[in-house]
Amino acid sequence: MSYTPTGPISRFINNLEENFIALILAAMTGLTFANVIARYVFNDNILWALEATVYLFAWLVLFGMSYAVKTSAHLGVDVIVNKQSPGVKKILGLLSVAACLLFAGLLLAGSIEYWWRFFTKMSFLESEDVPFPIFIQSLVGFVEDGEPLYENIPRYIPYFILPLGFTLMALRFIEVGWHIWTGQKDMVIASHEAEDMMDDMTKSEKES
Amino acid sequence: MEAFLLFLLVISFLAIGVPIAVALGLSSVLFLLSFSDSSLSSIAQTMFDAFEGHYTLLAIPFFILASSYMSTGGVAKRIIRFAIAAVGHVKGGLAIAGVFACMLFAALSGSSPATVVAIGTLVIAGMVKVGYKKEFAAGVICNAGTLGILIPPSIVMVVYAAATDVSVGRMFLAGVIPGLLAGLMLMIGIYVVARYKNLPAQPWAGWKEIYHAAADAGWGLFLIVIILGGIYGGIFTPTEAAAVASVYAFLIANFIYRDMGPLKNRPKRQPGESRVAAFVKGVFDFVVYLIPALLHKDHKKTLLEGGRLTIMLLFIIANALILKHVLTEEQIPQDIARAMLDAGFGPIMFLILVNVILLIGGQFMEPSGLIIIVAPLVFPIAMKLGIDPIHLGIIMVVNMEIGMITPPVGLNLFVTSGVAKMAMWDVVKAAMPWLAILFVFLIMITYIPWLSTFIPTMLMGPEVITIH
Repeated sequence: MSYTPTGPISRFINNLEENFIALILAAMTGLTFANVIARYVFNDNILWALEATVYLFAWLVLFGMSYAVKTSAHLGVDVIVNKQSPGVKKILGLLSVAACLLFAGLLLAGSIEYWWRFFTKMSFLESEDVPFPIFIQSLVGFVEDGEPLYENIPRYIPYFILPLGFTLMALRFIEVGWHIWTGQKDMVIASHEAEDMMDDMTKSEKES
Repeated sequence: MEAFLLFLLVISFLAIGVPIAVALGLSSVLFLLSFSDSSLSSIAQTMFDAFEGHYTLLAIPFFILASSYMSTGGVAKRIIRFAIAAVGHVKGGLAIAGVFACMLFAALSGSSPATVVAIGTLVIAGMVKVGYKKEFAAGVICNAGTLGILIPPSIVMVVYAAATDVSVGRMFLAGVIPGLLAGLMLMIGIYVVARYKNLPAQPWAGWKEIYHAAADAGWGLFLIVIILGGIYGGIFTPTEAAAVASVYAFLIANFIYRDMGPLKNRPKRQPGESRVAAFVKGVFDFVVYLIPALLHKDHKKTLLEGGRLTIMLLFIIANALILKHVLTEEQIPQDIARAMLDAGFGPIMFLILVNVILLIGGQFMEPSGLIIIVAPLVFPIAMKLGIDPIHLGIIMVVNMEIGMITPPVGLNLFVTSGVAKMAMWDVVKAAMPWLAILFVFLIMITYIPWLSTFIPTMLMGPEVITIH
């Protein structure tokens, strides 16, 4: 977790990303817990809680994967790369970024195609349980002849994280590629999950 | 042949430093595009389906979050105090207490390296202070820390359950006897060495200290009662149990232990204050500080920490699921199974093969990612050979454990060398004798299925096996 934002804009974006991740996880936990309380205390059931939690789960990971690229949190195998000379290491670094970009690009293309189908031809397809509050619909103009368009949220809303997530991810990979090119970083991957833990530990040792 | 190409692709990507998740995903996508008529949009669908279609995986973020609240130094300290009070007075007591503390901490956390960091930081230094050799201390903790993924709750078990559609509850129960057994075997090993080398014993702390230490550690350890009791009492699903555990852990960390949040460093009970007054004040604090605690920067940090781990792990799992999709579509496990049966392989040869694959793979890969790739490959074969799915799961988990402490690149070795401030190679040498004990344990687990299946079958009835 050696990432520290520099400058006001990157600090702002970093805060935005971190708050969003923390908020989604809190909302998932809160919803699931509330559902248990509803069942045992109020003898009731929040019908849409499960589906909403699952959508939030997808948003957490698909949104967060670009944040993980930025903070070099993705795990990889560094045994071979670390044995190479700096020059070879740089070439391997750029090659691996190229592979990552290819991955993000292919999935972005697939995501757009998939999402576009739900946005156009299949826009009538709704989620099973998650209701779409009427006041929000009238706020954004989803009203026809005074009637709201949807009962539940249409599927293209949760699925939108697919194209969004892979766009953000591709952008972050380009950024990492630039950092490797200019020598500010030498790898896409975190060298070791363990190193993070050691970092945190020495930090908390210093604090106490 | 084509399958071989797929694995070659994955390994080459890993070798040049591509993240594990991307290596798995990209290889599968390239394979699908060249050898089948799947479209890119169906791959995007598989990606989203990893979350939408696997309710079991939803338990993972909650287990991670619960153990993030519990991973503060304060909880480890309380557990160690209790462990020392309970078993510190026998010969080699501090080392045995270290193992005991690792077992207890494993019941709060689903990760092995986290267990080594939390317990090792405090125990190794403490052991050196009373005259143990540093190598001895590091070797013991390094091995005992691996119990983190065997003693429930365990993230690796949730992943196995999701990959093979067995019940999470059964897997957790199945880990109980093996977890206790492994701990006991390590303790006996230490005791024998301690008698032989005449290692120091701690003074007997007295029943009063045991009682107080237990009462203090009990708040945290009650978490495991919520999880296991809730699941087997039929009160919650495993996912709900994990979410309830997170909320409980949040309340304990903020209002009872006060290791984080707005009440940090403010004791529950002032000296000389009566119990009733302290209780009333505690309730008052809860009402006043609940919202501030939720919004506190410590809480955001813990949530972010849990979120980061979840993202990293689930991104690997989602991509491994794309690979799994390729494997099933190409009938690769079935081909391997047929080849193995034709070659006359029995269950024993097969299990040895699984052991070897996992021990090698466990050195390079994160355990959850490895399980989700290997499980769909070996599961259908194992079912054909008549191996119990729960038993297979426990074998895989124990293999992962040992993979974490086999040189050259075991994750636990790495963490221990940092915690004990020793060279990697010294840790390897220190861990060796205890590793031998775990190897014996692995053989026992592999060839005595009863150890894994007894409790789940007793409590939940015989298992219904479904193959997809």
